[in-house]
Amino acid sequence: MNAKDQFSAIPMGEIFRGANELVAEGLIKSWALGGALAGVYYTEPVATYDADIFFIPADKSVSAGIPAIYGHLQARGWAVEGEHLIVQGFPVQLLGADGLTEEAVRAAADIEFEGVPGRVFLAEYIVAIAASVGRAKDRARIEQMLGQSEIDQGHLNAILKRHNLNLPKL
Amino acid sequence: MTNAMRQKLAREPFEEKIRKVSQLIRLSKAASQKKMARAGQERRSAGSSNMAGLPQ
Repeated sequence: MNAKDQFSAIPMGEIFRGANELVAEGLIKSWALGGALAGVYYTEPVATYDADIFFIPADKSVSAGIPAIYGHLQARGWAVEGEHLIVQGFPVQLLGADGLTEEAVRAAADIEFEGVPGRVFLAEYIVAIAASVGRAKDRARIEQMLGQSEIDQGHLNAILKRHNLNLPKL
Repeated sequence: MTNAMRQKLAREPFEEKIRKVSQLIRLSKAASQKKMARAGQERRSAGSSNMAGLPQ
């Protein structure tokens, strides 16, 4: 059976525990939930097929310590399938943070999921990152975030200006 | 869905929203499996009707 066929629910608590363990082991400096599931923290639920975990590597070499990180998570029972790690049938993508996303990890909000501590991108960074990527689904995310979450417009404008970004016409 | 309903959903606890996303994923997987099974069945029946047309 394919590892993804074992899906029954998004194992957010286990994803947070795994990421926290990477920090505790010194394999990464910090992490935060980004992408669609970070958007869901601020908006109505939307379907997505994976969880994006952005991390600041402890190892600044080209590999960013990926072999050691994957080895550690595989020992926890996470499977590797292509560019994803599969946790209880749910794909997780680990993405090295850089530039705007590194700033977003550093500024992330502390949250909890069923008692497990975690971190999530601030709403303003989710909008700015979506503006920088610019796909149709990113424009939809911007529209949703602006309509449903409490955005600090001054903070958003400062991030956009710092990274030379503009919001798309919606 | 009205804007007021969307706002209400947006204010739900994260755990509850993740439970709902999980449900959306399960529904979407079930729908795509059904679609693939139907497409497979159509291919098989198209194949068997071609076979019937082959010279003996």
